[in-house]
Amino acid sequence: MIATATTGVNAAPARVPKARKTLLGHVPIESPLYQFHPVTRLIMFIFFGVIPLFIYLPEVNFLLLWVNMGIMRWGRVNINELRKYMPVIFTVAFFMFIVVVLAPGEDPSYTPLDVGPITIYYQPVFFAFAAYWRLIAMLFGTILYFSTNRERDMLVAMRSLRLPFIASYVVGLSIRSAGMFLEDFRTIREAEQARGLDTKAMRLRDQVKLYMMYLVPLFSIALRRADEISNALFARGYTLTGRVGGGGKRADYIRAQYKLRTRDWVLIVSMGLIFVATAIVQMRFGVFSIEYSPLNIYLKQLLGIPG
Amino acid sequence: MSIAIRIKDLEWKYENTTEFALRGVNLEIEEGSFLGIVGANEHGKTSLVMAINGLIPQSYNGIYRGDVQVFGKSVRETDAVELASQVGLVFADPEAQFTAMTVEEELVFGLENLGLGLAEIRERLEWAAEVTMISELLDKSPYDVSGGQKQRVAIACVLAMNPPIIIMDEPTSMIDPLGKGLIFDILRKLKEAGDHTLIVIEHNVERLVPLADQMLLMWQGNIAKLAPTRQFFEDPSFLIERGVLTPEVSEFAEWLRLEGYLEEGTPLPLNLEDGVEITRQVLEARRARA
Repeated sequence: MIATATTGVNAAPARVPKARKTLLGHVPIESPLYQFHPVTRLIMFIFFGVIPLFIYLPEVNFLLLWVNMGIMRWGRVNINELRKYMPVIFTVAFFMFIVVVLAPGEDPSYTPLDVGPITIYYQPVFFAFAAYWRLIAMLFGTILYFSTNRERDMLVAMRSLRLPFIASYVVGLSIRSAGMFLEDFRTIREAEQARGLDTKAMRLRDQVKLYMMYLVPLFSIALRRADEISNALFARGYTLTGRVGGGGKRADYIRAQYKLRTRDWVLIVSMGLIFVATAIVQMRFGVFSIEYSPLNIYLKQLLGIPG
Repeated sequence: MSIAIRIKDLEWKYENTTEFALRGVNLEIEEGSFLGIVGANEHGKTSLVMAINGLIPQSYNGIYRGDVQVFGKSVRETDAVELASQVGLVFADPEAQFTAMTVEEELVFGLENLGLGLAEIRERLEWAAEVTMISELLDKSPYDVSGGQKQRVAIACVLAMNPPIIIMDEPTSMIDPLGKGLIFDILRKLKEAGDHTLIVIEHNVERLVPLADQMLLMWQGNIAKLAPTRQFFEDPSFLIERGVLTPEVSEFAEWLRLEGYLEEGTPLPLNLEDGVEITRQVLEARRARA
């Protein structure tokens, strides 16, 4: 008889993963957003990506950012993960403002403001501020999309929009290649570290040289992989012309599993109407122009800037 | 039995190489048979199977002479779709053949290429996933599963297309012993079903031998030996000289024979059960003599 022993300590409950890894990050395993068709989510991405282009008011773009955050929270995206985008957010801000401070351009209507030892000009700085929030609103729209859509959803959406199969397939392969490129890069670095290379102790110039040297193995691996994928496609009967056996029409099994429902149409039509209304209101009446920004008006009054 | 594959005077040299990878290969493989291919690296095993599924010469540049026919039709004159419906190839590196984002997409890709309808795609998908025990992986990325699971996904992709000829190029080279066992279980099931002509390149002869009807040894771009499995291992030194190890159980029996414990002409065991039986007979004979 086999003896058994107990320690009296209960095993920890199995951890249920909340997020699924994708080549571009993580998406929640379950999310209310998944009740929408992938094409609806793609249109939402386009909506949040394009609508800030018509809006110059930083207040509205700031609001759009919070709408995006709200949808992410509702969609069970791990908000803590957004911290990884902070370097991008700060880098964009740094470069945008440094440009308008150092090279504001020449315009007699600009109002100079002395800030300590330097002189800045109000109009270009506020314009950069407004443009920055447009960019950030668009960035959050992109983050929302890639935090709630897998590669598969993107491909289904593209095929639902009647993009040719080969085009969507090339997009899929490209996404895959990007992920594999990063993985190969990590493997090469780990192999070097395993052989005692300490990049932290290196000078910046040497690090740059090292990164250049990575390109050789990375390109040769990429070429080999391209060859392998080409063989795999041939072995599974794929032809560049997209011709399928029997000469009939290609079935799309994955797309067939998704159906556009009433809620999708309601959302698509709503987004379409808001988009058209925003475009018309801005193009005809300039409602979202920077001059109407309450913050702009307040600052001008505060600083005594006319107009 | 009819001939599934006929190879006649096949010679192949990859561009930018000096040596021919295949040098006048002649081979006929019967429909429904299981052929095991062994041989040292760089002796033409993979080139041979790539010539059967048409990758050579359709996807590679080089010098091609002779002919390969699959069910009577030359692979040079057959297009990719038709070839894929006749010959399925599982590559040694499973990741090398993944092109989709989920296991499910990976499986249905080939089926869509064959022009099948949605109902048949679903049916074949479920069947292949069940046979290869990957039903619970369908929603996962093929890159996020274990090595053994990746190889089973690769096999499922080919199985789903249900080609009459299935070729596997070292299907267990990158996986752990348990994973290897599962792959050979799948091969055993396929052999028992008898619906496919199976060609397997494998260094692990211990597991291959119990399944293979015939074994083929590739050496310097040609067939050095082709024989029914038991006959194939009758001259172990011939194989060892060419970089192929015989099953350990056969080596043990060969040692018994050399030491005089086993009668000349006794067929060498190829699997553990036969080895145990022969050992039992030897021990009984010794006990009787004592």
